[in-house]
Amino acid sequence: MQFLEMMLKAIQQIGSAIPEWIVLLVSSSGSVTTVLRWVMPVLAFFILLQTARSMLVWKKEPEIWAYIDLPNGARLPISHWENTIGRSPSSDIVLNYPTVSRSHAVLVRADDGSWTITDVGSKGGIVVNKRPVEGKSPVYPGDIISLAGVEIALLPIEVEQEQQEDDESSLRKPGKPGRVLFLVTLFQLLTAMQLCTFASEENKTTIIMAFAGLAAFMWLYFIFMRALQRTGFEVETIAFFLTTLGFSVVASAAPGELGKMFFVTIMAVLIFVLLGWFLRDLERAKKARWFMGGAALMLLAANLLLGKIVYGAQNWIYIGAFSFQPSELVKIAFIYAGTATLDRLLAKRNLTMFILFSGACIGTLALLGDFGTASIFFVAFVVIAFMRSGDLATISLICAGTGFAGMLAVRFKPYIAKRFSAWGHVWAYASTTGYQQTRTLMYAASGGLLGLGAGNGLLKHISAADTDLVFGILCEEWGLIVAIIAVCSLVCLAIFTVRCASVGRSSFYVIAACASMSMLLFQTALNVFGSIDFLPLTGVTFPFVSNGGSSMLASWGLLAFVKAADTRKNASFAIKRPKEEIQ
Amino acid sequence: MKKISRRSIVAAILSVAMVIGIAMFVYNYVNDGAAWASFPSNQHIYTNGVIASQRILDRNGVVLYKTSKGKPAYNENKTIRKATLHAVGDTSGNISTSAMHVFTDQLIQYDLLNGVYYHHDNGSDIYLTLDANVCAAALNALDGRSGTVGVYNYKTGQILCMVSAPTFDPKTPPNLSEDNNGAYINRFLSSAYTPGSIFKLVTSAAAIDNMPDLFSRTFTCKGSEKIGNSTVTCLKAHGTFNFKTALADSCNVTYANLATELGRGVLEEYAEKAGFNKGVTVSGISTATGNFGLSGASKSDIAWSGVGQYTDLANPCTYMTYVGAIANGGIPVYPQFLSKVTSENSAASSSYKKNVGSRILSKSTADTLADLMHNNVIQSYGKRNFPGLDLCAKTGTAEVGGGKKPNAWFTGFIRSEEYPLAFIVIVENGGSGIEVAAPVANTVLQAAVKALKASD
Repeated sequence: MQFLEMMLKAIQQIGSAIPEWIVLLVSSSGSVTTVLRWVMPVLAFFILLQTARSMLVWKKEPEIWAYIDLPNGARLPISHWENTIGRSPSSDIVLNYPTVSRSHAVLVRADDGSWTITDVGSKGGIVVNKRPVEGKSPVYPGDIISLAGVEIALLPIEVEQEQQEDDESSLRKPGKPGRVLFLVTLFQLLTAMQLCTFASEENKTTIIMAFAGLAAFMWLYFIFMRALQRTGFEVETIAFFLTTLGFSVVASAAPGELGKMFFVTIMAVLIFVLLGWFLRDLERAKKARWFMGGAALMLLAANLLLGKIVYGAQNWIYIGAFSFQPSELVKIAFIYAGTATLDRLLAKRNLTMFILFSGACIGTLALLGDFGTASIFFVAFVVIAFMRSGDLATISLICAGTGFAGMLAVRFKPYIAKRFSAWGHVWAYASTTGYQQTRTLMYAASGGLLGLGAGNGLLKHISAADTDLVFGILCEEWGLIVAIIAVCSLVCLAIFTVRCASVGRSSFYVIAACASMSMLLFQTALNVFGSIDFLPLTGVTFPFVSNGGSSMLASWGLLAFVKAADTRKNASFAIKRPKEEIQ
Repeated sequence: MKKISRRSIVAAILSVAMVIGIAMFVYNYVNDGAAWASFPSNQHIYTNGVIASQRILDRNGVVLYKTSKGKPAYNENKTIRKATLHAVGDTSGNISTSAMHVFTDQLIQYDLLNGVYYHHDNGSDIYLTLDANVCAAALNALDGRSGTVGVYNYKTGQILCMVSAPTFDPKTPPNLSEDNNGAYINRFLSSAYTPGSIFKLVTSAAAIDNMPDLFSRTFTCKGSEKIGNSTVTCLKAHGTFNFKTALADSCNVTYANLATELGRGVLEEYAEKAGFNKGVTVSGISTATGNFGLSGASKSDIAWSGVGQYTDLANPCTYMTYVGAIANGGIPVYPQFLSKVTSENSAASSSYKKNVGSRILSKSTADTLADLMHNNVIQSYGKRNFPGLDLCAKTGTAEVGGGKKPNAWFTGFIRSEEYPLAFIVIVENGGSGIEVAAPVANTVLQAAVKALKASD
């Protein structure tokens, strides 16, 4: 609790300095920006550096859940909840005996610590304690499992050993999060101050309240999680940092929507927490897959029937005063429905259902004219399909088929191609179809490395700039350095996810985390590279940063999957603590 | 699980792709940022497509172009407007090597670190190295003919005169659809012509360095000689003479024989040194490249290449730089026409820095060439045609074929500490170098020396 005191002290100090700031702010707006445009990139850099260090250097020490005694007398630690057993060298438990099938069985640990063995189409069959197994059978510690005559025994980890492991595994813990959050708070306050120098009088109060509210909410979240004795906050830190940039974009481009943005963010974090909490119980999580798949299709169908066309894509639904993009929420459901546990994957070795489901989702999106989101779903599909099957041949075939379908679509619906006609030579169409991209480049360059100061941009006046061209707004108002830091923070999250995957418990979490991270990353790529004319401009949002409620909800929601894959000790609220597991 | 965990590499691959894409963007940003920011729709800078306030001036502070309160205006003198058009630029942005086009960073006060943060509506003053009056004199001397005149200080690199014709009055620009005979092209920077006899300065340098007995040799010219499968001709039979006279008389037969004796490799080496195939960079602008290449050339091709025909092409500015290097003892000082920028924003201000290249000719070779060129004036061109100037020069009369009159060239320099000027003149289809181009050069040089005297 020492650092909390430190924080409090620091906050008090900042509090006492605020009146001086306001004086400074009123007296000379120019000089505030001149100083802050140097301060903000440095601050952003340190936020990323601290977070990245904590996320990327922890030691990947596998958790041990049980031991297996092999026929040759060796004792093998089991480091996942789901383990393949077979002759293949890529099995988790390799039994190199001619009678054992290449992929023979899957040994699965449930939430409650019970173990199950599932036959995944072996030739030699499985016998547990001399009882032959049809399909699956529970396994208890000390049981002798015979796989086509090759006998192994399952041994539990001993209690002392568990204790011991607790002590040794300090390296798996994340670093201290309080300091980084303090930096983020400073960043938020300075952002509000910077924005106020360019905002009109009536907006100043809104801006200060929104940023103060965001900072307060962030600390509330932090304190709540500390109370639950969680130690990992990097994922949230990055999300809060990006959300801050998003608030700044909204404050600059559409200050009237700042209040809405604030409440949506609170909702988004709640969804993040609820989904994360829901995911911690794998049995419960698994059961909801079908529901999620159905929900995805229903939402898209509703979209098809009720959707309104905005900017060429029919992806908005208006209910009373509320408007939202169902396709954003479907992202969460899509990932959820796509992931699966290993025993299931190996027992049913085909992707047919998933391909049909994905085809329905992506096809509907294409019908809606939302090609950007359709391609995001397609990437998520490819990632999930690859992770589930490793079957490059089928996936290449599907990619080729989709490419062909895309070509046909363009051939018979030339207006689709027309929308992307400026791609690659926007300067030649600077006043027509390349209008948005050229303005993005022009104003991005105007910002230089340090930016013109939040609120001081002009790109925001271009239509849809605060969603589709948000990278340009970051470049112009915040400078190239901060814009790149924003992108890099998502890259760090992705690398963190890959690291977590290698010590993942269940393929359910690993696939979901990788797929949602790939989705976020690809969406960022479409947004950034679309606005700067590396890719066609498709009008997708920059996760957390773009102005838009549905996008904010989806971004935080997808993050819950990443959180559920963070197996570092006591790090993530989406994973039960050891004591909670014993019950 | 092991397998599935390994497959998480797809997310890493996406990350790598993301980073590569961002790196590419940064690369473009660094290279093209100024051009993006200077797009006339940028309302940080422009009002109705014009920078609120800026000026382009000549070296003496004569305003060539300015905008005040968003309204553009050129110099009042029509001849100056036309003569400096290619250096200053037109408001439609058709002249891509002009100050308005190339010095955008300075005009919009852009820099990579700050973007346009320090852009000041009071604008900046861009001083060119040009002298408006010398340019006007050059345009008058061209007298309606196409061509180009360049004069620069071979010690500092400052271009005093850069005129290209045909030109137009930027105050009343012609229709884009009209055939303007390439009026948008600055011939000095962006064209390449067959050099003809001025190329003999390159062949000479090669001969001086590679033929120890060159100055003790005698040469005989019967008016024509069959070399390989082609006959090289002179205007008349030059008789028997030494090397000095061979250059003064510009004897094709002699130089054709020297070229075949020097051979492909040596000629290519010296042409490369003179900047053929490469061009030079003038205040950030890459000139057009010339051409000199003998791969697959026959003996007669080599012979013709040595007298500046065959496939030889010279960019006027690049060749002037070569002649300037001869004047400067073998070291080129690259020409520039941006002098300095003054601005209320000190970050956008700059002063002139000369751009010295590495040695291309030995001091003795350069000095020998200079003496030979001085002899040309005395022996052939007539010192009285260039009153008061200690001139070293070479003429060229380059055949262009197609029944057209040859292009007239005259290039050289003044040997003087006070007026160290090198020059090049081309009059397209003008005829003989000495008759047509030399008088233009004299007029311009007299004006240049007068201008330098006045500003001292």
